[in-house]
Amino acid sequence: MLKRMMLTVLAVMLVLAIAACGSDGGNGNSSGGGPSSAGSGGSGSSGGSGGQAAKKVVLEYWHTYSDAEEKVLLEEIKPLFETEHPNIELNITRMPYEGLKQQVIAGVAGGAAPDLMRMDIIWVPEFAKLGALQKVNELDGFEELKAQLFEGPMSTNYYNGDYYGLPLNTNTKVAIYNKKVLESVGLSNPPTTMQELADVSRQLVKDGKLPGIGISGVHAWALLPYFWSLGGKLTNDDFSQVEGYLNSPESIQAVETIAAWHEEGLIIPAVLGGEPSTWDGMKKHEYLMIDDGPWFYSILMGEASEEFDVLRDTVRGLIPAGPAGSHSVIGGENLVIFTGSKHTEEAWTFARWMLGEEPQKIMSKVGMIPTNIKAANEPTFLEVPYMKEYVEQLETALPRTPNPQWGEMEGIFNLAVEKVLRGESDVTTALNQATQQIEAILKE
Amino acid sequence: MSATNRDQLPRGAAGRGTSASAYIHLRRGLRQWGEALPYLALGVLGTSVFVIYPMIQNILISFQDYSIMPNAVNTWVGLDNYRYAFEDPNQKFLIAIRNTFLNVLFTVPINWFLAVFFAVLINMQFVRFKLVFRTIYYLPIITSWIVVAFLFRFLFASGEYGFINYLLYTKLGWISEPIGWLQNYWTAMIVIWLFHIWKTVGWGVVIYLAALQGIPLDLYEAAEIDGAGAVQQFRHITLPMLGPVTIFVLINLVNGAFNIFPQVYFITKGGPMDQTQVIPSLMYTQAFTNFNFGYASAMSVMMGFAVFLLTYTQMKKIGQQRLL
Amino acid sequence: MRVRSKVWQLVIYAVLLMGVVVFIFPFLYMIMTTFVKGAYTLPRPYEIFSAVPNLDNYQIVWNRNHFARYFLNSAVVTAVSMAGGLFLGALTAYGFARFQFPGKEALFRLFLLTMMIPGVINIIPQFIIIKNLGLVNTYAGLWLIYIGGGVVGSTFFLRGFFEGIPKELEESVMIDGGSNFKIFWHIYLPQSLPALGTLAIFSFQGTWEEYFLALTIIKSEVMRTLPIALMMFHDQHATNYSWVFAASVIALLPVVLVYITFQKKFVQSGYNDGAVKG
Repeated sequence: MLKRMMLTVLAVMLVLAIAACGSDGGNGNSSGGGPSSAGSGGSGSSGGSGGQAAKKVVLEYWHTYSDAEEKVLLEEIKPLFETEHPNIELNITRMPYEGLKQQVIAGVAGGAAPDLMRMDIIWVPEFAKLGALQKVNELDGFEELKAQLFEGPMSTNYYNGDYYGLPLNTNTKVAIYNKKVLESVGLSNPPTTMQELADVSRQLVKDGKLPGIGISGVHAWALLPYFWSLGGKLTNDDFSQVEGYLNSPESIQAVETIAAWHEEGLIIPAVLGGEPSTWDGMKKHEYLMIDDGPWFYSILMGEASEEFDVLRDTVRGLIPAGPAGSHSVIGGENLVIFTGSKHTEEAWTFARWMLGEEPQKIMSKVGMIPTNIKAANEPTFLEVPYMKEYVEQLETALPRTPNPQWGEMEGIFNLAVEKVLRGESDVTTALNQATQQIEAILKE
Repeated sequence: MSATNRDQLPRGAAGRGTSASAYIHLRRGLRQWGEALPYLALGVLGTSVFVIYPMIQNILISFQDYSIMPNAVNTWVGLDNYRYAFEDPNQKFLIAIRNTFLNVLFTVPINWFLAVFFAVLINMQFVRFKLVFRTIYYLPIITSWIVVAFLFRFLFASGEYGFINYLLYTKLGWISEPIGWLQNYWTAMIVIWLFHIWKTVGWGVVIYLAALQGIPLDLYEAAEIDGAGAVQQFRHITLPMLGPVTIFVLINLVNGAFNIFPQVYFITKGGPMDQTQVIPSLMYTQAFTNFNFGYASAMSVMMGFAVFLLTYTQMKKIGQQRLL
Repeated sequence: MRVRSKVWQLVIYAVLLMGVVVFIFPFLYMIMTTFVKGAYTLPRPYEIFSAVPNLDNYQIVWNRNHFARYFLNSAVVTAVSMAGGLFLGALTAYGFARFQFPGKEALFRLFLLTMMIPGVINIIPQFIIIKNLGLVNTYAGLWLIYIGGGVVGSTFFLRGFFEGIPKELEESVMIDGGSNFKIFWHIYLPQSLPALGTLAIFSFQGTWEEYFLALTIIKSEVMRTLPIALMMFHDQHATNYSWVFAASVIALLPVVLVYITFQKKFVQSGYNDGAVKG
C-alpha cells in the first residue's frame, strides 16, 4: 500500500515534469529559442542548433536597445552580418533594465554569461576588475580599429592599462532651448557662455517666469557638464587621484558658482527633484533650457503635436562655455566580450564588424551616434535634424572616471553637491570631505 | 494502524539506554519515518536543494571575500564582513536596522488599530453588504507589489502635479508648497509606511472580522439588558474576547514589517542616498550593484539570527494555530 | 453590536465608504491615466480627469513587446506552479500534521528558520543548481525553484489547519480499511478547501508577479513571463506612463479575477491565514 502511494506521487511529479519539458515547444535545454524578430529578418530561425551544430558558431548577444533600435538590429544588422559570415549565427536577446546587473552577475557566476553584451560604459571597469571581461587590446587588429574611433568613448573601456571593450555607440548632452521662451526674452540665438545663460535666467526670474539654468539633478550625469565647463576637475588625467583636483581652487570655484546660482533661484526646480520635470517643462514651454541626449529627439519626434513639436519648437546649442570651455559628459554603451565565452574569435569578429563604417551608419539611422569617426561625419548622418550639435559636442566631451569604484565616487560627489545646494555645508568643506572619502576608496 | 496509537511505550523505565530499549526506539523511529516519508520526501528534498543549500552557501559566503567569478579563490576572512557592517563610515547597516525598527514602530500600531477599527465597523449589525466591504478592503493585498509600488510612486510624485500634492496643495490648501515626497528621508519613509499599511491592512480586517463573528451574540444581549452602551460593550466584551487573536495579529504584523523589501526597493530603491534602506534592500544593492556578496551575506545572517531569536518563543504558537 | 441612532449609522457608513475610496481610488486613477495619450511625461491631474475613456493604449500595449505571448507564458507557468505547489505543500503539511517521528519538531524549526533569513541572494546558488541540472531556459527549471522554494510557506500555513481537523473523521475511513493516503485525499483536502483557496490566491499572485527568478532562468524572449514584459516598458531614458499602466492593468486582471472567484472561501479561513509577507 505504501509502495502504491509512493508510486502515485512519483508518477504525478513525473507527469508534471514531462508536461514542463513538452510545453516549452521543444526548446529543451539549449537556449536555441531563436531571436524574437519582429516577423522579418531572414535567417532568424532556430534551425542553427540542428545538425550543422558542428560548423556553425552561435553567439549569445545581450542588448538593451529600445523597440525601434532593436528593429534595425534584427532586420538589417543581423542579416547583413550573417550573410558576410555564414559560419556565425547571432542569438540576440533583449534585456530589461530592471535587475540587469543582477542578471549579468548571475550569468557570470553561473558560467552562463553571454558571449557579447552591449553594456553601459560605467559598468565596464567594474566587470573588468573582476576579470569577467576579455582584454581586447591583445586581439587581432585592435590598434588599427582604435585609430578609427573617437578617443573619448574609447577611453571608457580603459582599465588598469588595458582595454576591455569597444565603444559601440556614444552619446552626450547638449543644451536644448525652447524657442518660445527664448523669444520671450528677446533672443533669437541661444546663449553661448555660462555668464550669458545666468543673465538670461535672471531676466526670466525677474519677469516672474521659471528660471533658465537647466541642471536636472544633483547627480554626476546632470552636474558634470556645468562643473567641467566652469573649470572643475574630478581627477588627474590618469583617473587615479582626486586629491588636488576635486578640491582644487578651480573646482571649488565651479561649485561655488553653481551654489550661487541656486541661491539666486536661477536653476530649474528639477535640480532638487521639483516639478515640472525637464521634459515636461520643455514641452509645456515653461523651461528655457534643459540638457539631454539625442533620445530626447528620437523619442519625442514621434509625438509631435500642435502644442509641442520637438523639431519645430526647440533649438540646440553647445553646453554654454565657462572658463574651461564647453565640456559635456560622455554616455553610451560599449561592446564587451565575456571571459567565459567559448567563441572569443567569432565574438571578436562580430565586435570589430559592428564598429565598421557600414554597421555604424545603419545604427545611426535610429539615433545611435557612431563612435566610428568616419561614420559620424557622414553627411547623411549629420543631416539628421538634430545630430550636428551632438557630434560637435562630442569633440570636447569628457568621460566619467572609468574606475571600478565610480559608483561609490559618484555617490560621494553627489552628496557633497547636494549638501551645498541645500545649504547644509559650505563648498570648501564639502569638497574636501568628498576628496578625503574618495581617496580612501581609491586606495582599497 | 494510526500513527497516534503508536506512542504507547512508557518512556521512563525503558529510557535508561539499555541496548534492547535503544533498539526498540530505533526500530520505532525508523518505522515512523517510513510512514511519514512519502509525504515529506519531495517537500524536504525541494526545500533542501533550493532553500537550505543556498542558505548554507549564504552563511559560508559571509565569512569569505567572495568573488562571483566561477574560478576565483575565495579567501576566508573570518568576521571581517561582520565587522565592516558595524564599522562602515557611512553606517549603512546601522541605518538599515534603524529603518527596520522605525518601520515596525510606525506601521504595526496603525495597521493593528485600523484593522480592529474597520472590522468592528463592518461587523456592526446594521451594516449591509459586509461581503462587499470585506472584498474591497482585502483587494490591495492580492495585487502585485511591483505594479502597485510604481503606482504609488506616481501618486506621490513631487511637484504640484503628483496626485497627492495636487490634493493637498492645490485642492485642499493644507500644505503651503508641494512636497518632494521621495526627495527627503522622512517624507520618503512616510510614503513607504503609507504604502505598506494601505497594502496590508485588509489582512487584519479579515482576521478580526472572523474573530468578531465568533463572539457569541448572547454576551452582547446580556450586556444590553444590563444597560451597557455600545462603547462599554466594546471595552468589556469585544476587546477581551479578541485577546488571543490580537497576539496572533501583532506577531504577524511585526513579522511583515520586518520583511519589508518591495516597499522600499521599488519605491525609493533605498534612496535618497541609501537612507531608506532596510536590510533586505541593502543586501540586494550591495550584492548586485557593488558586488559585495560577503558583506550582503553577513547582513542576511545577522538578520536571520535576530529574527530567529525574537520569534523562537513564538514559534510554537505560530506553528499550532489553535486560537479558539 | 447594535447601534440604534440613525445618525451614528450614517457616520459609520460614511467612514466605511471612505475606506472603500482609499482602497479603490489608486486603481481608478491608474485606469484613468491609461486613457491619456502621449504620456512620456508625468500626466497631470487635469489631463487625467479630462481624458476620454478609450482602449487605444491597451491595444498598443497588447501588440508591443510580444505582450500577448508573455501573458500566455505567465498563465502556463503560474498554473503549473500553483497546482504543484499546493499539492506538495499539502502533502508535506500532512506529513507534519498527522505523523509523529523523531526529529519532527527540529525539522519543522529548520523549515521555519529558512523563512527568516532574507533570501535575496539565494538567486545565485539557485541559478547555478538549475544550470548544473541543465534546466536553464526551461519552464521545468523555473517550476522546480518556485515549487521547491515555496514548500516551506505552504506547509507552514497548512499544518496548523490540518492539525485542527478532528481525528474522528479519520476513523470512519480507517474502519473501511483506508490508507494514510486515502485519509489525506478524502478527508484532509476537502476539509481544508478554505485554506487551500486562500493559499491558491497567494500562490497565484506570488508566481504571477515574480520577476527576478523568471528573468534569470528564462532567456529566450518567446518564453518570458509577464512581469518582464511590464519592465520592458520602462525604457532607458523615458517611461510612457500610460503604457506602463495599461500593461499593469492587464497584468492585474487575472489575479483580481482569481481572487473574486475564490474569495468566498475566506469566510471560514480567517483565523488560519498565514503571515502577511512583505
